[in-house]
Amino acid sequence: MGRVYIVDEDVEEYLSKLCSQQAGPVTGLLIGQSSGQRDFVVIAAPTPKDEESAGKTVDKEWVSEHARQVSRMLLGGLTVLGVFMITDADAKDTITTLRQLVFAVENLISSEQKWSPAEDDVTDCVTLHVNPKTRKYPFFNSAAKPADLKYQSGVGSCWTTVSCWLNVDLLIPLPDSRASKENSQKGLKVWTRQIENAVCLIDGKKLPEDSELTSGQVVSKRQDLFDKKALSEIISKPRSADVVQPCGGSVTVRGAVHCRAFLHTHKPKVKLAEKVLLKRDAISTVATRVQMLLDEPLASEEQIKDFSERENCPEFCLPRRIFCPLKSSGSLYVCDYQFSDEGLSEIVDRLKEMLGVDTAEEDLDTTQEMTAEITQGAFMAAAAALLATAASMMYYSDM
Amino acid sequence: MVVAEPTTLIIFRVKGSLELRCHLDSTETSHIQKVLSRTFENLRAQIKSESCVFTVCNTPVIIWPNKDVYEDITPDSPCEDVLQRIQSDEPESGGKRATKKKGKKDLSASVISLRLMMEVTKPGPLSAPVISKTVQKSHFLSATLPLDCAVRTHSKDTIKDVCDRLLEALTQQLCEMEKVMLQHMKGSTLLTAEPLHFLLPEPKGLVTVVFPAGVPDKELEAQRRELHQRFKLPNDRPYFRRANAYHFPNEHYKDGYLRNPHHALTHPTLENGKVFMVQGIYSYHHYMQDRMDDNGWGCAYRSLQTICSWFQQQGYVEQPVPSHKEIQQALVDVGDKQANFVGSRQWIGSIEVQAVLNHLLGITSKIMFVSQGSELASKGRELANHFLTEGTPIMIGGGVLAHTILGVAWSESTGQIRYLILDPHYTGSEDLQVITDKGWCGWKGADFWDQTAYYNLCLPQRPRVI
Repeated sequence: MGRVYIVDEDVEEYLSKLCSQQAGPVTGLLIGQSSGQRDFVVIAAPTPKDEESAGKTVDKEWVSEHARQVSRMLLGGLTVLGVFMITDADAKDTITTLRQLVFAVENLISSEQKWSPAEDDVTDCVTLHVNPKTRKYPFFNSAAKPADLKYQSGVGSCWTTVSCWLNVDLLIPLPDSRASKENSQKGLKVWTRQIENAVCLIDGKKLPEDSELTSGQVVSKRQDLFDKKALSEIISKPRSADVVQPCGGSVTVRGAVHCRAFLHTHKPKVKLAEKVLLKRDAISTVATRVQMLLDEPLASEEQIKDFSERENCPEFCLPRRIFCPLKSSGSLYVCDYQFSDEGLSEIVDRLKEMLGVDTAEEDLDTTQEMTAEITQGAFMAAAAALLATAASMMYYSDM
Repeated sequence: MVVAEPTTLIIFRVKGSLELRCHLDSTETSHIQKVLSRTFENLRAQIKSESCVFTVCNTPVIIWPNKDVYEDITPDSPCEDVLQRIQSDEPESGGKRATKKKGKKDLSASVISLRLMMEVTKPGPLSAPVISKTVQKSHFLSATLPLDCAVRTHSKDTIKDVCDRLLEALTQQLCEMEKVMLQHMKGSTLLTAEPLHFLLPEPKGLVTVVFPAGVPDKELEAQRRELHQRFKLPNDRPYFRRANAYHFPNEHYKDGYLRNPHHALTHPTLENGKVFMVQGIYSYHHYMQDRMDDNGWGCAYRSLQTICSWFQQQGYVEQPVPSHKEIQQALVDVGDKQANFVGSRQWIGSIEVQAVLNHLLGITSKIMFVSQGSELASKGRELANHFLTEGTPIMIGGGVLAHTILGVAWSESTGQIRYLILDPHYTGSEDLQVITDKGWCGWKGADFWDQTAYYNLCLPQRPRVI
């Protein structure tokens, strides 16, 4: 028939709970992993409340913006798979709205994609309409074909994890004229291509693409973590002209990022693990953070605005990646980015608001990326960040 | 007396690219020089760093030479062990391989290709990235440096030795690239550098030279003169034009023509005789190639194409091998033929070949005439001299046929003579086995010629240039 969607029972429970709460239609995103003929749904994230629209009508743009921000919080292998809506309105009324929502989300996500799409990528999004009155769950894919839905417990456990720390040392030119619409992504193109063409070693070995990953260690509490190294090779033809171009300045990014990707089977193929998922995670985490700083100054963040507007900024910390385990799953994580003037409580709030994830500060893993020390400048924030690092390190040794 | 065991030579070739990127506050020459030198320093540091990696193509062998980490091989392994690891067959240079006759010296050393890569991951946890920004109307330099180093080793040398030599070669090449870029800087216009390998007469062997990319041969004569002096090479033939670059045995010729099919033959041994042959590389051109059906009339055209291919591949000319139409048009242009000659299937002879070589390639040729084929047997000395001093393929036309003479085996004392013939009348595919087995490229006796017909030979002269 068509694709089969396997939804975690915890998600089903959560949707049921949402059904019993009232106040108008509830929309949200379905998050999980697509592969082959099956998809796995592990999170249902409700759309955050928007004060302005008062929750009466479904706002397409708001849902899309939610999807965009949520995508940044997902690690390699997890993506927004579709949209759900809980409403007791009739199915045929909701179907149009749902389809519109799903197309909007699909478009936004693919336009945000920072890596080259692969041939076997699945791009179908799904819609799920939950009717609290009838408890019916019509489930369709974006081509409006009914899709098969199955519930299973423990969908989020037993995933394979692949991770690494990637060294980043970039020098990017800024566009020549202020009026130029170029954004930071163009400057990252060479680096992105390098990563896409990199050779990945699993446990220090180059494995053939069709072979399966197996863990050499016994799995106890944590899932298989592979020690990964990535080699990168630049493949491009030398140009003899145009070596020197005018520019409007330059940006350097130096440091390391922690990348992680999840695969739902016990024995995933090497090609999928390294090529597709881990590399994409690497590309998107760097691009996202650079984009946050260069292209989209958040009005509320004074320092960031300062950074993007000011002429010369000696050094500024990019937000660091904090990891949060999903309680419903044994092995899956989501992440968020902590700016140097933020505390962990803000992370906890955002995780709740964006993903519907309940967590506490103690549960967050802040050890993967350390806050860099800035050699110049005297932001108060820097002091706060160092304190936070110290705290997490103390915590870590307590474990 | 101790006889040393003959060891085979292996060429280790490492290729890789490094990005050259820097921000230029001003385009003033001295500033650019300073920034460029500093950037090259950083690149050389990368080669010396622990992130530098060699991967051996078609094997699972990976080496971190600066960390002494060897994956899938030990540092003391002899080079020949790596040869055994290579899983896939290496492609032959155009056409199928003929079975090598026993005892024939294998002119092509084995080549092991390596890739230069940089490791971009490190064990963590590490610091999150720091960003800094400079806004200023300025310039940005961005280029890709195509590193390409080759070292010749004996099969018993250890892998570690080879890696050390390759690291040194890479560092040296970066220095040379820096020099070349600074040398050819004009204002703020910069050229990248490209390395080329040349196989010089023994014992000099394989040398690598860095040239400025995109600069044509004719503007690099001064560099070539200096190189000829440095390597003590004669000044009357090119060794360092781009076309002279060494063609590695494991590289495909993309155009599909066979190169030097005569290498697959065993040459005749005559009593007190010597063999004199074409020097350098030519392509075999014959009937039906290039989707051109010239069966029955195009033999002289094909012989001319073979000659043109020789001049192009030795670096004397840059023009590609001309088509039948281009050859005919050239003859119209010099007034030798009427306009309706173009597109016809008319034959040409050695005089026309001489005219086209002159008009299209600027090459002069000598014409030799024999009133009857039997006289060719007495032309041993002259032909031998030609191959000694000029070394170019000869076009011979007579009766109703044209051929290419690639060499002569001649005994001064007995007068015995054999001719190495490349036959343009072949209509098959580029199958070296068939071509040599069936004699389309082969040694012929004096009876090959029509004893009563008259023959004209076109002997192209090699320009005395570098």
